[in-house]
Amino acid sequence: MPAIDRRLIQNFEWPLVGLLLALSLIGVVNLISAAPETADWFPATAKRQFYMLALGLLGLLISLVPDYRSLERYAIPIYLLCVALLVAVLVVGPVINGSQRWIVAGPLRLQPSEPLKLGLAILFARLLARQDTRSELGLLELVKPALLFAIPAVLVLRQPDLGTTMLLALLAGTFLLVARVRFSTLLWLGAAGMAGVSVAWFFYLHDYQKERVLTFLSPERDPLGTAYHAIQSQIAVGSGGFLGKGFRRGPQSQLDFVPEQQTDFVFSVLAEEWGFVGAAFVMLLYLGFIVRGLMIARASKDLFGAYLGVGVCAIFFWGGFINVGMVLGVLPVVGVPLPLLSYGGSSLLTCLIGTGLLMNISMRRYIF
Amino acid sequence: MSRISGTRLPVEGQIERRLVTLTVLVMGVWLVLLFRLFYLQVVLGERFRISASQNSVRTHHIKATRGIIFDRNGEILVDSRPSFDVLVIPHETGDLARALQRIGRLIGLRAEELRERVGKPAGRARFQTLEVARDIGRNAQARVEARLYALPGVITQVAPVRDYRGRNSAAHVLGRLGEISLAQLQSRRYQHYGRGDVIGTEGVERLLDADVRGRDGGKNLLVDAHGRELELLGKIEPQPGKHVVLTLDRRLQLEAEAALDETGDAGAVVALDPRNGEVLVLTSRPSFDPNLFAVGIGWDDWSALRTDPRTPLHNRALQGQYPPGSTYKVVTALAGLEEGVIDDDFRVHCAGSFRLGRRRYRCWKRAGHGDVDLHRALVESCDVFFYTVGVEVGVDRIAHHASALGLGVPTGIELGPEAAGLVPTRAWKKRRFGERWIEGETVSLAIGQGFNLWTPIQLASLYGAIGNGGARYRPFVVKRVTDPDGRVLRETQPQFVGSLPVSAHSLAQVRHGLRGAVHDPHGTGWVMRRLPGGVESAGKTGTAQVVKLAKNPLGKDADIPEWLRDHAWFVTYVPAQDPRIVIAVLVEHGGHGASAAAPIAQRVAATFLANEGELHARH
Repeated sequence: MPAIDRRLIQNFEWPLVGLLLALSLIGVVNLISAAPETADWFPATAKRQFYMLALGLLGLLISLVPDYRSLERYAIPIYLLCVALLVAVLVVGPVINGSQRWIVAGPLRLQPSEPLKLGLAILFARLLARQDTRSELGLLELVKPALLFAIPAVLVLRQPDLGTTMLLALLAGTFLLVARVRFSTLLWLGAAGMAGVSVAWFFYLHDYQKERVLTFLSPERDPLGTAYHAIQSQIAVGSGGFLGKGFRRGPQSQLDFVPEQQTDFVFSVLAEEWGFVGAAFVMLLYLGFIVRGLMIARASKDLFGAYLGVGVCAIFFWGGFINVGMVLGVLPVVGVPLPLLSYGGSSLLTCLIGTGLLMNISMRRYIF
Repeated sequence: MSRISGTRLPVEGQIERRLVTLTVLVMGVWLVLLFRLFYLQVVLGERFRISASQNSVRTHHIKATRGIIFDRNGEILVDSRPSFDVLVIPHETGDLARALQRIGRLIGLRAEELRERVGKPAGRARFQTLEVARDIGRNAQARVEARLYALPGVITQVAPVRDYRGRNSAAHVLGRLGEISLAQLQSRRYQHYGRGDVIGTEGVERLLDADVRGRDGGKNLLVDAHGRELELLGKIEPQPGKHVVLTLDRRLQLEAEAALDETGDAGAVVALDPRNGEVLVLTSRPSFDPNLFAVGIGWDDWSALRTDPRTPLHNRALQGQYPPGSTYKVVTALAGLEEGVIDDDFRVHCAGSFRLGRRRYRCWKRAGHGDVDLHRALVESCDVFFYTVGVEVGVDRIAHHASALGLGVPTGIELGPEAAGLVPTRAWKKRRFGERWIEGETVSLAIGQGFNLWTPIQLASLYGAIGNGGARYRPFVVKRVTDPDGRVLRETQPQFVGSLPVSAHSLAQVRHGLRGAVHDPHGTGWVMRRLPGGVESAGKTGTAQVVKLAKNPLGKDADIPEWLRDHAWFVTYVPAQDPRIVIAVLVEHGGHGASAAAPIAQRVAATFLANEGELHARH
């Protein structure tokens, strides 16, 4: 075990830890409200999330000891492991609510598409960091990353999990923007993307998924059916008002009228009970977290760290944006968890490890 | 510190500008989200705000209508009718006690009663609709509705409630409803159910709950402080449940129940179609009225039902286990035939009793039957004949054949729970009582008086198989499930379980004897001779002694106290050739099978044939 450098302690990343703790603890408290009706003051789901958080924080601290740069060497094994887990999901994963997303081992459930986000970020960071930085990237240089992205993306789409697939695509797209890519290449990619979307629309999307997109584009299509989730969640958010109804007093969510309120729609519970004041506060914590993450990426001493930092921030940003946008009715309903706030161990652990990576980069910014 | 391979280039200038741009973009997106949040919560939020003096969003659950249950001819057995209910939202009523008092005055119920139902809602329960009174009638509800303006937080609704048309008819088949229990909520079967859900707790209602229940809907309303609806914010229509068609024949069922009730005794009737296992009649008396459970049974009614010594909730047809009496003689006969004990020349001399060791076992006919062969033994139900056969075959071989005939295990009817009956063996007795088998017990067992037990449905099932030439079918009551428009979703296919493992010769002899028991001189089942159109039938009486093999010291039946009287059995299949119905009748403490049970079977059979004739005439 390497000796712990004194400078690591001196440069400990306090702001990020503070934001992380605030958000994840708010998440646990919010899950108490979001749990199905029970007399228990600390419902099972919230409790499990709390234990998972404690466990994850311990893991996070341990993960700070090794240098993040060693990840560059392990990028490919990590990536392959993620892909293997995704294949395993499709082979042995149980079908729950019409999709295969988990690997179940006794009481443990792992959703491999969550750690995959980090695996992909690490891999892309490595690829980009090793590019010749003097020239801009052309179409040919992008073939390899595109393929490396496509394999897990298709596997996730097969589960089917449209939300996560979209998130992976946006993550990859973020790297494209940050890397130096020729402008004409971007245009080409744009065209290819459009083609891809239309192919997906006609051959890949399930009817219920198309229905959701169409309803988003024109909610009056089917106010009682697909738009139901969106309408219910907006009413819940709206009825929170400026100050909110108070802890565990959100009747809209409490009556189970908002679907998936522990996972994809947790934010509606928060907004209903804590009002604009509470919801905006959490949003600002979130923004603070992402901006701080981007600052860390900027201050990184090497390209790998910078790209990796951007990748982690992208995971938080897109997850937060898509989820909150969906709850507020500005984006279509796609099942994407809200990082740190939604119930789910895989998602929470992924967020904690991601935070650990950011802290790792930050704490070693002066150590060469 | 070890060197780490990889690219290490200064970041400055490389992607720094892009990162700054990215940060600005992120902030921009967040600003949009914050604006949207502000718009929903502060600009629109005023409309949604929950407050005693302001508008609020109210959520109504709309109950789905459970599917209709039909009999085989399309007659409605169970339907739904409207129930007029009053509910409150404690948060909006202000003083809850006063509100309940006023409601009580309007609908003519005491306020304490209503308070008891509502309890003391606290926490989140204060925001929910709570039931104050159900099924109060149209007029009472109209009185409440007329004063809603002065009753904030009070709601009226019309919800479907189950209507069991035949009241206590076929109650054990149809089942009943009840609120889901905590234990059920945690089980896998009910994983999609919620607290307070009403589910089928017995019978078909339980068996097909998932099909019949439909899906509840709901609506969100914007209401003002007086409960006036301002705007419908969203609504999901409830989906009605699927319909069920049973194999039961309502007219036969009613006939069987009426006949059984006339005896004044408890009992059961099971009638099957031996060609496929369809249950035509399944009744257990006394019965109960499932309508009581549909509205939510009161504590008094519930404890009265549960503590009634005549156990009306008990399904005797499936769960009642009784000594078979003489109806068991076919089992002894088949065992004797298959073991080679009874051959064509086999005769027993009955002098009115049978001697084993130092004990004498009486025949029911004290004068004796003289020389008897198998045919006469079945016709006149000679006990001594079967004592002899039983002792020669031995208990374990009889048990072997009884098990092969399907006894000792449930018939497998989907309705369950179902008792298995009992086929005793030497090993069983050792296990159960730790005692050796006594030969004398084989003697009693041979005529169905020992440890052996069977249920009415097992009896019907076995005789059905004997009647149709040896094919066993699993009995079933659910014929099909259809969607609300009548399209067939599921149709039960008859399930062939196996053939009776006996030779055609043995089976023919037994069937000949059973026909003789009705039509030959001195036949114990003579009551069955009177059928419309002179249709021939076959059958067997049975009288199961409640007081063990003791000679009745009190004399005639009528003088014996009810609970000491024998159980009366009768089982018959009609017609004797290619039967279309098999009927098993049990009358608890009814006395003799021939006098107490056979007339009931005769009435059911006569009604069955008359209905058939009517159907033929129509087509």
